[in-house]
Amino acid sequence: MVEKSFVDKLVTTLAYALVGCFAIACLYPLVMVVSVSFSSEREIARHGYSIIPQALSLDTYRYIFANSGARILRSYGVTIFVTVAGTIGALLITSMIAYAISIRKLKYRNVLAFVCNFTIIFSAGLIPWYIVSVNYYGLKNSTIALILPSIFSVWNMFLMRTYFAAISPSLYEAAEIDGANHFTIFWRVALPLSKTPLLTVGLMYALQYWNDWWNALIFINDKDLFPLQYYLYNILSNVNAISSGRIPSGAASGITLPAETVKMAVTVITIGPIIFLYPFIQKYFVQGVMTGALKE
Amino acid sequence: MNSNVEQPPSLVREIKKKGFLYEIKKHRILYLMSVPALIVLIMFSYIPFAGIWMAFTDFNVVDGIYGSKFVGLDNFKFFFENGMGWKVTYNTLFINFFGIILGIIVPVTLAILLHEVRGVAFKKMTQSMMFFPYFISWIVVGAIIYGIFSTDVGIANQLLKALGADPIRWYSEPKYWKAIIIIASVWKWSGYSSIIYLAAMANFDESLYESAKVDGANKLQRILFLTVPMLKPTMIILTLMSVGRIFYGDFGMIYGIVGNNPVLADEVTVIDTYVYQSMRTLGFSYSTAIGLLQSVMGLILVTLANRSAKKFNDGEGLF
Repeated sequence: MVEKSFVDKLVTTLAYALVGCFAIACLYPLVMVVSVSFSSEREIARHGYSIIPQALSLDTYRYIFANSGARILRSYGVTIFVTVAGTIGALLITSMIAYAISIRKLKYRNVLAFVCNFTIIFSAGLIPWYIVSVNYYGLKNSTIALILPSIFSVWNMFLMRTYFAAISPSLYEAAEIDGANHFTIFWRVALPLSKTPLLTVGLMYALQYWNDWWNALIFINDKDLFPLQYYLYNILSNVNAISSGRIPSGAASGITLPAETVKMAVTVITIGPIIFLYPFIQKYFVQGVMTGALKE
Repeated sequence: MNSNVEQPPSLVREIKKKGFLYEIKKHRILYLMSVPALIVLIMFSYIPFAGIWMAFTDFNVVDGIYGSKFVGLDNFKFFFENGMGWKVTYNTLFINFFGIILGIIVPVTLAILLHEVRGVAFKKMTQSMMFFPYFISWIVVGAIIYGIFSTDVGIANQLLKALGADPIRWYSEPKYWKAIIIIASVWKWSGYSSIIYLAAMANFDESLYESAKVDGANKLQRILFLTVPMLKPTMIILTLMSVGRIFYGDFGMIYGIVGNNPVLADEVTVIDTYVYQSMRTLGFSYSTAIGLLQSVMGLILVTLANRSAKKFNDGEGLF
């Protein structure tokens, strides 16, 4: 059948073409950001952004590190600390309760699951959350404010529970007969058997902490505690307001607009580690999401 | 338990053993392991419920949450009477509605097409590329969008100039920004969502495709009459999940992309960003009321979505 093979070929060609186009659209902006950051400011001002570096130069990076190197390093430090401490704490807290809920013998496991569930279907909203956090827990301007509010995600907990529940109870029973308590079983049996979910959920938490700026926006005024993303946000939001033309030119002239290449270079500095890591970690994400989706 | 029937002593002890305290003591280690997570939930989700009362008062710091004057539903009334209520609700629903529709069509199409791609290297490469937007923050997306739509140096205006059209001052033209935001959200999530559909497709019965092939169905027919119908349950579940959250705007997305640009505010302010802004300008009571309204609408929709999910999903709900 000539017609059939024609349609088949057309579908295949289209598949390659569209998938290719979408993939390029996903990566194109990254190439643009990187190449502008390595361009000379004068060329960018004259010709605009492009995906090919114009008059390749490292001047922007030299300029940034000479002028605000200390501040950027400081923000890097904050972000790295928050990401590492937050991810470790979150993994521990999440996997412990997920393990408990996965044990069928536990009589009130449904109560525990409901207590978790309810928080995703109903919340008090931003303001009460903000007031208790600031007035009662004293989270204003503290590193803890960048970690604690996001240290437990119910979604991640349910993902881990699904994995724990798939472990054969006979493995636990053998350990129980040997006199091990549940924490030992969790630590020695359940966790070593759950490397994929630990990695997936760990990466999700790490990504969440690395990309977080909401907690900083709400809780942090002290420049020394700005995480990287919030540092970038501050640079960019001034630009947005001024380029809208709403701010009178007299006022705007007092503010020096960060140069184009500087904005992009700070962006590159912010996503730097992700660019290097994501080709290696994305396959674990794919694995985790796929197995998680299958089990649901 | 029937307490008026006399029980033999051994059975009484047996029943007592099954009591609350007995269970806690027996599995104390498991319950202790849940405590840290419960503390976090209590601190950040349950204790704040006490503050909901503020929505019905005219809160001031001196009198506190329960000492401030009770005003009934005035805060809610003000939200709709000052015109902002309808506007921000409309913006939220508009952006989410098209986000949901495109958030099904694009990833499903991508997954189906990716499935047709036979070259392993090409497949791996493109999939990695599509996953990239998932890894970056909305702030970085904001920087990228600035690079595209900046008036003087942006890619979009270069393109317009090359086509002989006049450049547009994007950041002073509110009418484009709903579309820009929707496209950005589809761009960011599609690679990730397509994986979920690919996972579902990996489970499909290969023999169905073989017999369709034998019957003379071409690829397009196999996609339309086999793949799409079999993907339907996954699509429905994911859609219901997003519908349950349709009253929630993505704060990070809106603020990351347009910041607090006052010119664009009318078009892109969603409930979440409005609550944040009015916290500073219009007071705690008013913004608590809006947040509460949003939560209640969310609760209703999630419950409905869960109920319909159970229908499609053999009695299993969304959570």
